[in-house]
Amino acid sequence: MAESATPVLLDSLGKRFGATAAVTDLSLAVPAGEVFGFLGPNGAGKSTTIRLLLGLLRPTTGRAEVFGDPAGDVERAHRHLAYVPADVALWPSLTGQECLELLAGVGPGTDRGYRDELVERFALDVGKRARTYSTGNRQKVALVAAFATRAPLLVLDEPTSGLDPLMEREFRRCLAEAAERGQTVFLSSHALAEVEAVCTRVGILRAGRLVEVAGLAELRRLRRSEVTVSLARPAPELERLAGLPGVADVRWTTPLEVTLALTGPPGPVLRALGGADVLRLDVREPSLEEIFLDYYGRAAA
Amino acid sequence: MTTRTPPRAPATGTGRPPAPAHPATAVRRAVVRQVRRGTVVVAVLSGGLTAFVAHEYASTVSGAIGVGSLTALAENPAIRTLFGPPLALDDPGGFTVWRTGTVVAVLAGVWAALAGTRVTRGEEESGRADLLLAGRVRQVTLVRTALDVLLGAGAVVGVAVTAGVWAAGTAVPGAVLFGALVGGTAMAGGALGVLTGQLLTERRAASGLAVAVLLAGLLARMVGDGVPALSWLQWLSPFGLLGRVAPYAHDRWAPLLVLGVLVAAPAVLAAVLAGARDVGTGRWRGRDRARPPSRLLRSLPGLAVQRTRRPAATWSLGVAAYFLLIGLLATAMLDFLRDNPVFAQMAAAAGFARLASVEGYAASLFGLLAVPVGAFAAARVAALAADETASRLTLLYSRPVGRVRWAGWEAAVAAAGAVLVAAAAGVATWAGASWVGAGLGPGAALGGALSVLPVALLCLGAALLALGWAPSAVLPVGVLPAAGGYLLLVLADSFGWPAWVRGLSPFAHLAAVPAEPLDVAGAVGMVVVALALAAAGLAGYARRDLRG
Ligand SMILES: Nc1ncnc2c1ncn2[C@@H]1O[C@H](COP(=O)(O)OP(=O)(O)O)[C@@H](O)[C@H]1O
Ligand SMILES: [Mg+2]
Repeated sequence: MAESATPVLLDSLGKRFGATAAVTDLSLAVPAGEVFGFLGPNGAGKSTTIRLLLGLLRPTTGRAEVFGDPAGDVERAHRHLAYVPADVALWPSLTGQECLELLAGVGPGTDRGYRDELVERFALDVGKRARTYSTGNRQKVALVAAFATRAPLLVLDEPTSGLDPLMEREFRRCLAEAAERGQTVFLSSHALAEVEAVCTRVGILRAGRLVEVAGLAELRRLRRSEVTVSLARPAPELERLAGLPGVADVRWTTPLEVTLALTGPPGPVLRALGGADVLRLDVREPSLEEIFLDYYGRAAA
Repeated sequence: MTTRTPPRAPATGTGRPPAPAHPATAVRRAVVRQVRRGTVVVAVLSGGLTAFVAHEYASTVSGAIGVGSLTALAENPAIRTLFGPPLALDDPGGFTVWRTGTVVAVLAGVWAALAGTRVTRGEEESGRADLLLAGRVRQVTLVRTALDVLLGAGAVVGVAVTAGVWAAGTAVPGAVLFGALVGGTAMAGGALGVLTGQLLTERRAASGLAVAVLLAGLLARMVGDGVPALSWLQWLSPFGLLGRVAPYAHDRWAPLLVLGVLVAAPAVLAAVLAGARDVGTGRWRGRDRARPPSRLLRSLPGLAVQRTRRPAATWSLGVAAYFLLIGLLATAMLDFLRDNPVFAQMAAAAGFARLASVEGYAASLFGLLAVPVGAFAAARVAALAADETASRLTLLYSRPVGRVRWAGWEAAVAAAGAVLVAAAAGVATWAGASWVGAGLGPGAALGGALSVLPVALLCLGAALLALGWAPSAVLPVGVLPAAGGYLLLVLADSFGWPAWVRGLSPFAHLAAVPAEPLDVAGAVGMVVVALALAAAGLAGYARRDLRG
């Protein structure tokens, strides 16, 4: 039974455009029910990977599967998925309604009731011709068509790049509903707050290579968190904090306050603080943006 | 109330790089880059073809026609209508103008019109123009630049023709006038393309309108040449002016002024309109809302029908107008050929065999029909390729829709459209011939028109082959079997080329229906080749990367 197979399976996938290696040796599996965030700077190869997954491009090496069906066999593979491209192009003379009818008509099945509800929620005027639509409106047409299929896999390539904050919130709601229903989501995005809010696992792509795949919590754990300690009275013995494993950047802002960066388990630091008169202890986890910039920073270095 | 203007910042020392002195130069360079290749191809084709025919005439045909026959030919309305006024046929230049003038002028004019809409409306449609307009370039500048470049391209084509026929040894004044006419036609076409680009919001529609206006000019020329009372129609189009100027015969210069007006009027109008409209939309935008959504748009075949409906109707209308005229001329032509058997032979050598009976006359002219019907089919595949580059197929192909299935439906509906276009020609010919009582039956007319379909299918197959393996050349490759094949046959017949060269042309395997029975083997052979080309093309299309 196909639905029990892995929704997204990429196996040492590679794509070259002439001399450019857009994607190199990419292996990844996204299990059912996961909301997977696909991150990377511009030109990292996110769209190329997605187009390979959709069979729009032919891989130079490796293979891609959708619920066990080879990506090249689109008549089968695409029964399981719905897609929103990064920039949506529609036939200018068709109205939004005609575009939606057409996409519903060529399958996979569409829940028309839910579609009408989505049209309302995204405030889309479907009576107008596509040539009058802004980028955001064209994106809405693709989003409505995609969510209305209730396909087990949603492949979204920067789906909110043209939406205003209100619509972006609506999009997140739809995504949450989809996740609740057990749909798998493959989301490429630059909106890190959005990824942080909805994704359970992320992959970070750099120059066509997957440099990290981890759960969001795990990713944070691997990264350093910022610890701030406020003391009731000076504690000179804490000078030795700097020598503890996993501790870096120890800074005394005042004699009564110290900040440090901590990587790994906090045990040694907590034991060292045990003797001091600690007034407050703040542990701040890094935001995805900081993690992300950290990866990019290393790329630039 | 007073407004204070802030003091001008000094040009230097602000930390910003200095602006380029002439932003229009950058625009000009961009437009030139877009039309460069086409200009060279059209110039080489026009110059080469005219030079070639003039040269071949000098070495083979020269001296075969007497003066008496010439006058008879010049006076017959049917001959004048179909081929243009035959003047100075005893001169290689005059013969070249008569045989190739209209073809080359149509080629140059249509190319320039398409280029005109491409560099204006096409750039706006794709959003690229917005980038330029966000800089220091105004829309009027953009349109003026496009006009300048296209007029220059037209001049290049004209010079190529002059150089070609002059090099073949024809008289200098005639060569200059002929070149000026072809170049002027290209200029008028280019200006017309820019003008329709200002009027309509979609490039496809703008291109269609520009080409339709040009070809209506050709039709007006034909009517004007055939019906003395309407001879003033010749002044309305560059094609008609070819006869007024009469290179190598009368060498009149004054009608070139009218040609100048035909170039200047659309150019000026385009520049005026450019300043008075929004970027991204034409002057005529049509309605933004549609009536109840079309029920066709629920399945792939329905979508294919919806996309093909209008082009098929437009092409049918154009072809029907031309063939109605052909039908109306049937008796005049037959009478003339009965009285002047020399010309029946000459016409046979020029690819119009058996003109002496009404069936033969109709059959000869149905040969020409393969060109527009084939071009229609190729244009439909080109539209599919354009949809792909504009990313309009991405959403469709993200559904369970195989590329072969969609391209197959498009091709099937295009083939059905080709049948309609051909049938429209058949019916129109019958209607015209019945009106003048030429005695052409409806079955014969329809059968003759439909008999050219194998060539159109070859065009469809060639276009699909290009879609799979050379997607940027769908239109030229697609029209090659019809346009190239027709030219090859005419040249081979005119100059007695070996049979195997002639056999390369699909038209060599087309019987003159309704004068002869259908060449079943030839038709089946062409359909088989067309299917093989289509299969190879679709296999490539399924396998390659999707562009856009
Ligand atoms: N059709 C193409 N031809 C040539 N190079 C391409 C093509 N598509 C993408 N690329 C290149 O592949 C790389 C990855 O592009 P893309 O997948 O679009 O990046 P992303 O979506 O992560 O911004 C880029 O360097 C881009 O220039
Ligand atoms: Mg991208």
